Amino acid sequence: MTLNGVSTSAAVAKQDAAAKPIVTLRGLKKSYYRGLIELPVLDGIDLDIPSGAFEALMGPSGSGKTTLLNLIAGLDRPTAGTIQVNGVNLSSMSEGALADWRARTIGFVFQSYNLIPVLTAAGNVELPLLLTKLSASNRKDRVKTALRIVGLEERMGHLPRELSGGQEQRVAIARAIVSDPTIVVADEPTGDLDRKSADEILDLLVKLNREFGKTILMVTHDPAAADRASVRRHLDKGRLLNS
Amino acid sequence: MTYRTMLIKNAFRNRFRSILTITGIGVAILAFVFLRTVVDVWNSGLTAAAEDRLVTRHKVSITMLLPRTYYDRMGNQPNVSSIGYANWFGATYPKDEHSFFANFAVDDDNYLNVYPEIVVPPDQLAAWKADPAGAIVGQTLAAKYGWKLGDKVTLTGTIYPGDWTFNVCAFYTTTNRAIDKSSFLFHWKYLNDGPISDRMREQVGWLVIRVKDPSQGSAVAGAIDSMFESSEAQTLTESERAFNLSFISMYAAIFTAMDVVSVVILLIMTMIVGNTIAMGVRERTHEYGVLRAIGFTPRHLMVLIFGESLFITAIGGALGLLIALPIVNGFGKFIEDNLGSFFPYFAISSGTVALAAVLALVVGLASAVLPAWTAARLQVTMALRRLG
Repeated sequence: MTLNGVSTSAAVAKQDAAAKPIVTLRGLKKSYYRGLIELPVLDGIDLDIPSGAFEALMGPSGSGKTTLLNLIAGLDRPTAGTIQVNGVNLSSMSEGALADWRARTIGFVFQSYNLIPVLTAAGNVELPLLLTKLSASNRKDRVKTALRIVGLEERMGHLPRELSGGQEQRVAIARAIVSDPTIVVADEPTGDLDRKSADEILDLLVKLNREFGKTILMVTHDPAAADRASVRRHLDKGRLLNS
Repeated sequence: MTYRTMLIKNAFRNRFRSILTITGIGVAILAFVFLRTVVDVWNSGLTAAAEDRLVTRHKVSITMLLPRTYYDRMGNQPNVSSIGYANWFGATYPKDEHSFFANFAVDDDNYLNVYPEIVVPPDQLAAWKADPAGAIVGQTLAAKYGWKLGDKVTLTGTIYPGDWTFNVCAFYTTTNRAIDKSSFLFHWKYLNDGPISDRMREQVGWLVIRVKDPSQGSAVAGAIDSMFESSEAQTLTESERAFNLSFISMYAAIFTAMDVVSVVILLIMTMIVGNTIAMGVRERTHEYGVLRAIGFTPRHLMVLIFGESLFITAIGGALGLLIALPIVNGFGKFIEDNLGSFFPYFAISSGTVALAAVLALVVGLASAVLPAWTAARLQVTMALRRLG
């Protein structure tokens, strides 16, 4: 099985190279400001995430999980410290370069799916490919492949409102992987789903990690979801408690 | 899928709102086209002016008369090919006294020579010349009142009191659509020999001169005016264009107001489209956050928002022009029949269509500036926190 040219054996080879960290955080701090009042969210995070890992990030509300995920995904800038992802120092990149980097490197899965309601499943999956120079037929092939991997090839012409919550999230995963990113970040991917659908989504994430070698960082409150990850990390009051 | 597909789908995401907006743009374009057409047609008097025609009138006012003897003296000027004269008669038609049409007493021999755009069939022209009470009637005016050749028409004089009866001898048409086709012309001699006060006898309202070389027009005008400089009735000679402009400028305030209203219409249109686009952008803030997260840049969002705005205004503009053509041109027929003296023709010009189309697109761009700027400045994480 392949995902845009990445074979299963290649994925295994990637996992073998797990010793090399794909994400390196040093002295990472992030604060928000309400007027002149500083509200620290992350307080000096040092972290190495190996390539091909499936890590779950847990912690109470307000502990800084989503903020940490956003920083690693290049959606936000740290107040202090450095972020190196896949050998690239994100702190030194311009907004445009960062957007381009995100398109090539990161696949996003959100809690509430975040599909564009007026686009079909195929249209939603194709969105990241509009940023590439691929031809229309190449884009179509990739969309089909991504939807086949998530088991929704037959639903490619359906609008989001014609799909169940679990199916919508699978379309969102197809969108996250269609451009063959190195890392998939998932923010509460099962938060809006029933147990059965949540298990299907988690199965899919495990498959992406094991068969396609994707590094997966998942924020979750759900211990059952966290159990599917190879590493669980806990955040509290902006600090990493243990690994 | 392409960006175009996306922006079209976005444009019709809230169909009711989009249809209302498109209809609003269509109506605004219709109003704009109508007002521009009124102003254009009113100003067409300037385009109707011939380069080789001069008009001489009393220096003080057009309402003051000049001695007819000026006609003979001016004819001796070098570079003058022909001269005609006319008096404003200002009579009304008793059967329709609230309607207005221009009626002039003109000289038999030369008036039509200085206006080659006025075409009268030769046999009818001969009949008119042979009948002292004969009248030449514009095609539109004749059609309005159903006058036929040989009909007797009585007008009631206001400047020259009394009932004046004329025989309809000829109909005229024009080769230039900007020239009035609803005028009523009759012999100056009929007026001069009629029951008028002695001080008005042997007087003319204005003289129209055709010059051999248009580049010598101002020299001829200067020579004519200096000829009568020491006379009791001094003259003012100007090009026909300047003469027409003096009439047009009398109503300048009205047409300036129309121009202002046209601009107001465009501003309203900008606000209608701007509001629709802004609402769409506000509702889609979360989606823009998602697009930014997956790699879309602020420039991509701006392309989508400007494209959507242009798409909506293009449809609205096309709709407006589509309905404006039959409505304004249909209404124009009514205006030509009833207000032909002011609006000899009333039709949308290609210039107005092009202007409306360009302005619709400019409005499309202007309306999207603020929403696009707002979307481009969104912080991804803030946008993602907004409810979808």
